[in-house]
Amino acid sequence: MPMKFQFTITPTVGGETAEGAAEEEVPVYDLVIIGGGAAGLTAAIYAGRARLKTLVLAGPLPGGQPANTDIVENFPGFPEGISGSELTQRFRSQAERFGAQVVLDAVTEVDFSARPFTIRTYGATYRAQAVIIATGAVPRRLGVPGEAEFFGRGVSACATCDGFFYQDKKVVVVGGGDSAIAEGLFLTRFAREVIVVHRRDRLRAAPLHQERAFANPKMHFVWDSVVEEILGEQTVTGVRVRNVKTGETSVIEADGVFVYVGMEPKTEIFAGQVELDEAGYIVTDKHQRTSTPGVFAAGDVQDPDYRQVVIAAGSGAVAAIEAERFLAEETRPTQTQPPV
Amino acid sequence: MPLLDKETTEQVKRELADLAGPVRLVMFSQTFECDYCAETRQLVEEVAELSDQLTAEIYNFVTDKEKAEELGVDKIPAIAVIGAEDYGVRFYGIPSGYEFTSLLYAIRTVAAGKTELSEETLKTLAGVTEPVHMQVFVTPTCPYCPMAVVLAHQMAIASPMVRADMVEAMEFPHLAIKYQVMGVPRTVINETVHLEGAAPEPMVLEKLQEALAGEQI
Ligand SMILES: Cc1cc2nc3c(=O)[nH]c(=O)nc-3n(C[C@H](O)[C@H](O)[C@H](O)COP(=O)(O)OP(=O)(O)OC[C@H]3O[C@@H](n4cnc5c(N)ncnc54)[C@H](O)[C@@H]3O)c2cc1C
Repeated sequence: MPMKFQFTITPTVGGETAEGAAEEEVPVYDLVIIGGGAAGLTAAIYAGRARLKTLVLAGPLPGGQPANTDIVENFPGFPEGISGSELTQRFRSQAERFGAQVVLDAVTEVDFSARPFTIRTYGATYRAQAVIIATGAVPRRLGVPGEAEFFGRGVSACATCDGFFYQDKKVVVVGGGDSAIAEGLFLTRFAREVIVVHRRDRLRAAPLHQERAFANPKMHFVWDSVVEEILGEQTVTGVRVRNVKTGETSVIEADGVFVYVGMEPKTEIFAGQVELDEAGYIVTDKHQRTSTPGVFAAGDVQDPDYRQVVIAAGSGAVAAIEAERFLAEETRPTQTQPPV
Repeated sequence: MPLLDKETTEQVKRELADLAGPVRLVMFSQTFECDYCAETRQLVEEVAELSDQLTAEIYNFVTDKEKAEELGVDKIPAIAVIGAEDYGVRFYGIPSGYEFTSLLYAIRTVAAGKTELSEETLKTLAGVTEPVHMQVFVTPTCPYCPMAVVLAHQMAIASPMVRADMVEAMEFPHLAIKYQVMGVPRTVINETVHLEGAAPEPMVLEKLQEALAGEQI
């Protein structure tokens, strides 16, 4: 197997609690960025260059969703495409280069009722004059019987992680959007057959992805169908699908099921602290401001429409610029030091 | 040609800048029937160059059989990360991709000889009197996997009864089949109990206790 080795360095679990955070007198950061994906790390690049004392709490998936994907082909500046892990690694290096501190801690609770704002993680409490929320989105579950039971035993949401285990096997991909088709195509490198089960009669994925999918002899499609149950014994043996037009049910035999049925914003811990819309997305204006002054949001956590790396990065930049302005406005009347 | 590019080398130097004590990277290899032994050896040697506290020791799995047995190494490529004592921290298969992070973390933690585990976890581990073997199956392209590996390694460092292996599933397909690995990370504890995904510390601890309880019956 020819292999190009990559060596990725991400912040590690609990290993790096930010300096002083566990002590009683916690330092007050100018800006705490919650989330270490494209939005959070781009915000950190801008905040670092604005010389704000900035901390990024990167949470459970440093680098964010692209860490889960083989290749990103539509981020400008990389005409050949770039691996998801490398792109996120580069975001982080660039943020750190300008002085932002990136730690892996996951936020468990926030209090935005008074300033400085309070941000709690499992092991520490942080305080910040301004906050950017960039916790992104996580894959939606199907919510059908068998899904939780067989997770890790045939059910997966990460083709790059688990594709290897399906060599010459038959897998079902659930969904019809860009992720479903891109990851389905990736799986054809391993699997002998990839069956896309989609609830509509056509794909939602970008035309380029569709062209590739229809041209790939290993890809097959089951239209107008939803998965009702994931079947298995020790491991997955198949899925039961129902045709939404005819109501007929049938069983598709498969060794694995990869679920790509959309994303959900990760906002539970912010309920009651900033305004959320009905679907749980944070409500922002075009300056990335939330309903709480001093708290900004960027990326997928506030974007039900586009969900792209480049857009997450762009909104992260806006949020950081606005946070800097917000802090500058506040300090202007009392500023006594000459500008440096 | 070096495996680590210039940028990565600089980053590793920073990560390993103030190791709390000396660490030996004891590597087992052989020249045939081992996919990535040559690369793993090269990686160990390159990393060892990046800190004064690090030394690389290379053994031959066949001719240095006694040494392998002493360290409980039963497959290659293997790296034992050993500090003031041998805590039972092992890597089977090349720690590339996201697992490179696990290697750096293991080096730092073994150097310090102390972990970031919670008080409760440490208390529970202190009460463990039976041997525990944790095997964490990974692939190099799995961003969640280092969390599971790092947690298992920390438990090994915290308890003399616990040893913990990273096992790169693609290099040991027979083990992936034996332990029915179809998704990673998958942690197998004492052959009996398994855990899917990067679970939080209390859940892993619970599974560890479950494995021990199961054996007493
Ligand atoms: C399989 C797949 C393939 C994709 N391919 C492409 C593509 O080719 N091109 C493209 O443009 N887009 C692609 N996308 C979409 C793209 O990845 C997202 O739009 C983008 O990553 C959003 O960035 P973000 O920073 O807003 O959030 P995310 O990437 O979701 O990052 C969220 C961050 O928040 C952190 N976090 C979460 N909870 C907490 C907490 N409690 N405390 C602290 N931190 C927390 C996470 O650890 C993570 O670091 C793909 C998505 C998927 C799933």
